[in-house]
Amino acid sequence: MKIKVLGTGLTKFGELWNKDLLDLALEASIDAINDSRLTINKIDAVFVGNMIHSKLTNQDQLGALVASSLGIKGASFRIEGACASGGLAVHLAIQSLLSGTYKNVLVVGAEKMTDANVSDISSALMGAGSEAERKAGLTFPALYALMAKAHMAKYGTTRKHLALVSVKNHYHASMNEKAQFPFEVTMEKVLESPIISSPFTLFDASPISDGAGALVLSSESTGEGVFITGSAVATDTVDLSSRKSLLEIAATKEASQQALKQAGVEISDIKVAEVHDCFTIAEILAMEDLGFCKKGMGGEFVRKGYTRLGGKIPVNTSGGLKACGHPVAATGVKQIIEVTHQLQKRAGKRQVNGANIGLTHNVGGSGATVVVHILQT
Amino acid sequence: MSTPAQIWRDHKKLNSYLNKVGELIVWTKIFVAPTGFEHQTPYLVGIVDFGDQKMPLQIVDCSEEDLKVNQKVKIVIRKIGKAKAEDIIEYGLKAKPI
Repeated sequence: MKIKVLGTGLTKFGELWNKDLLDLALEASIDAINDSRLTINKIDAVFVGNMIHSKLTNQDQLGALVASSLGIKGASFRIEGACASGGLAVHLAIQSLLSGTYKNVLVVGAEKMTDANVSDISSALMGAGSEAERKAGLTFPALYALMAKAHMAKYGTTRKHLALVSVKNHYHASMNEKAQFPFEVTMEKVLESPIISSPFTLFDASPISDGAGALVLSSESTGEGVFITGSAVATDTVDLSSRKSLLEIAATKEASQQALKQAGVEISDIKVAEVHDCFTIAEILAMEDLGFCKKGMGGEFVRKGYTRLGGKIPVNTSGGLKACGHPVAATGVKQIIEVTHQLQKRAGKRQVNGANIGLTHNVGGSGATVVVHILQT
Repeated sequence: MSTPAQIWRDHKKLNSYLNKVGELIVWTKIFVAPTGFEHQTPYLVGIVDFGDQKMPLQIVDCSEEDLKVNQKVKIVIRKIGKAKAEDIIEYGLKAKPI
């Protein structure tokens, strides 16, 4: 597989009161198309990732809405897979290119979340959980808190290990002008902020955000550039308690192994990674399940600074979901944009030296959908 | 919340779970709740292992200090969330320590 990333576009992430979903989607799309140097009539299809817009407003048919607003008359789609909607949209766009049906496609991940209040957003996001989870009054922070408590009990992962993920990702975000929280936080700040679901405080959680990312992808694979060489999706039960183990996200293992195999590289070849840190424990689980470290060692792997800029495998140089922000369907697309910019040496102050192979890891729900991509120069 | 037809379907299944005994394997205390559960905060939710299946359940009639890993609990029927004056009151499964 060799799919070229022709162009990227990314809005600021944050509370963007003066922009609605379409404004955000179009801003990212136009930037991506300009960056690709293609004219609009060369875009054969549009793939729009979005999770909760039709629940919060009454607008559906987002594929046609975005495509027609850009003057694109080709095929258009809306793709939903909870917080993995963006990654899934990229995966399907790639499959359409590989099939030969289309030559150049636009992928957009967009979400407008800050118009709704916190309880309504928590309820809307729980659409990605099971019926039993909703009836138990569970929230996404609580589902990941259950995984964190299981990990702490089994492997001795501490409250401080969790907090270090947040501190590290805020440090990275302090160098990213697109980030929702472009500033550093201290360990004390993370530990002393209000508890949302034990053991998590507010600073263990990714925020509610607005934002959009867009990519122009092409099956034209000649010349220099950044190429997607692996793209895989794996699925598990929507209900967390029905899984074999609370100590891992099995779909991460499955998707990453497939994507690495497609690309013909090993996990040890990866020089930069964007992983799904919706909550701090999720980044620790990702380190283990992707194979960067042994099971149970994720907390220590972070503590030793391996995943910080300058470490052996910098993780979430964008600031991750925690500090760059998490407009849910935009996240999977933003991850590809960040790694593309790293591989193009366009990442500015947060540039990872020698980055030539990168990985993105996008999770839907508590681990029911996982999308992994491998990018190479 | 659920519609009357959904509640009618779900209520027919509750009987088979009553008094089932299982072990609490992990729990969390929720301070920020989804719509309909705000009045209960903070509340405890755990995963209970019944041998043949595991289920997410609210843990009631206890404080967090009373809980330990592998705590024996049994299923009880309780109100789910908060119904508005004109809504049908929804009942469902929760667990209490024994």
